[in-house]
Amino acid sequence: MTEILVVGEGSAGSRICSVAHGIATQTGWRWARLRLSKSDTHAFAEAVAKCVQDAKIVLMGATAMGKDLMARVAEHLDVPLAQDCIGYRVAGSKVVFIRPLYGGKVLAEVHLAACPALATFRPRTQPAYQGAVAILEHVLTPSPHEMQVVWRKVGGGAALDVARADIVVSGGRGMQGPEHWHILESLAAALGPKAALACSRPVSDNGWRPRAEHVGQTGRVIAPAVYVAVGISGAVQHVAGIAGSKCIIAINKDPHASIFKVADYGIVGDLFEVVPALTAAVKALR
Amino acid sequence: MPVKIAICIKQTPDTEARIRIAADGQSIEEEGVSWIISPHDEAAVEQALQLKEAHGGHVTVVALGPRRVERSIREALAMGSDAGLHLVCEPMPADASVIAGALTKALRPRGFDLILTGEQAIDLAGSQVPQRLSIALGWPCVVAAETLSIKGRMVQARRPAEQKEALVRFALPGVVGVNRRIGEPRYPSFKGIMRAKRKAVEVDVAQLAEGRMIIERLHYPPAKAEGQVQSFGSGIEDTVARLLAGHIDTQV
Repeated sequence: MTEILVVGEGSAGSRICSVAHGIATQTGWRWARLRLSKSDTHAFAEAVAKCVQDAKIVLMGATAMGKDLMARVAEHLDVPLAQDCIGYRVAGSKVVFIRPLYGGKVLAEVHLAACPALATFRPRTQPAYQGAVAILEHVLTPSPHEMQVVWRKVGGGAALDVARADIVVSGGRGMQGPEHWHILESLAAALGPKAALACSRPVSDNGWRPRAEHVGQTGRVIAPAVYVAVGISGAVQHVAGIAGSKCIIAINKDPHASIFKVADYGIVGDLFEVVPALTAAVKALR
Repeated sequence: MPVKIAICIKQTPDTEARIRIAADGQSIEEEGVSWIISPHDEAAVEQALQLKEAHGGHVTVVALGPRRVERSIREALAMGSDAGLHLVCEPMPADASVIAGALTKALRPRGFDLILTGEQAIDLAGSQVPQRLSIALGWPCVVAAETLSIKGRMVQARRPAEQKEALVRFALPGVVGVNRRIGEPRYPSFKGIMRAKRKAVEVDVAQLAEGRMIIERLHYPPAKAEGQVQSFGSGIEDTVARLLAGHIDTQV
């Protein structure tokens, strides 16, 4: 009997193993990682539900797929689900999950009064797990379903998804147009393969950048080690998507821009001068 | 062919609203909060109206919550929805499975072809209601839809997920959870607002199960230390460049 199960593969999953290991250490429960042979949420939710029904706690990364799958698994098992958690606390055999509400303006400590307790964890909010992992293999049988996939595309955009990047270089309206994005691309290139590009909502609404790069309350919610906000005023809706960043650097010509209220480092100046200067300085230091 | 659409909306505090924790430590102070239709849901209302305009049909706005919620139902009626259904309860349940259960009970006997809703509400961000509805009803479901169209009885939706993307298709009845990025909602016209006053809003008591996601305590996120904000040329750019460069070296 394994009390805690981590569902799924990938780097998001390896961070979730830290949560499983942490809870296991404090409760004496055993944990393992459940490897999925397939991941189409509509076809395999019921099969995943069967695999995890005897566990006490089931964890998954709060990726688009993870959240969709767990929502379906939760309904199949008729149990509550805490999505997008950023932390946890163990009190005896009771586990409390911490999740942001109201765009991160408030944090809630929630207890799930059901078995199994299902939770997804926001990518990058947990340390990567370095220890050994017990793997459970399950070949899942798809349920009959009516969903047809007309086509499927992988990639097509940036090399690194913004939610997985260590460093995110993000542009706002202050960039003045898509033709200037090369200065952000140069900075991101200088910062190495773990850097990705993002943007604010007006930028994706204007079609300057793909919608997948939109970061904010109604876009992607990210927690990189460093977030560089360039020409972004810092509306609350944008800040809701980046508040989990370990370090926020803001570049804006308006010294009163609200992004400076949440920034760890702020450079007041013309981004068209500041960004190339930063890129050159970073290259010189590498 | 005409489609009978239910659009489930949630009333949430405005994204700009200041959120204060109430004295009980488990809920928020509602006094002084301005309420809106959650943005993803508002985009779903727009999609419902566009489908009705293209194919004919009927759009019912469904919302669960206390009396204040009626204003949001009227707003969706003013945008062009045909009828409203208000499932009354006070306070609003914190457990999304309870909300989905009450919606399922109300929607099942009413014979809808398509249930639309936002992929998540911006207040408690439960991110599970469309999926739960679909499984309870035994219908197919796609979430985070960024395009939506109907041909005959077939629904087609584009669903991006991180760096992947798929175009999926299923036969009605079904559930679609849309993302705000699917398109801007319209503003109600003056005529729409006047008409909305005469549209019927059915009021029913929400059938709530006991909540099993229990909010034990709310707290504010730890306050952030004040940052170092200086003008370009003061040397701050060197500090930032060193920080960025240092990060390249230490990353795993």
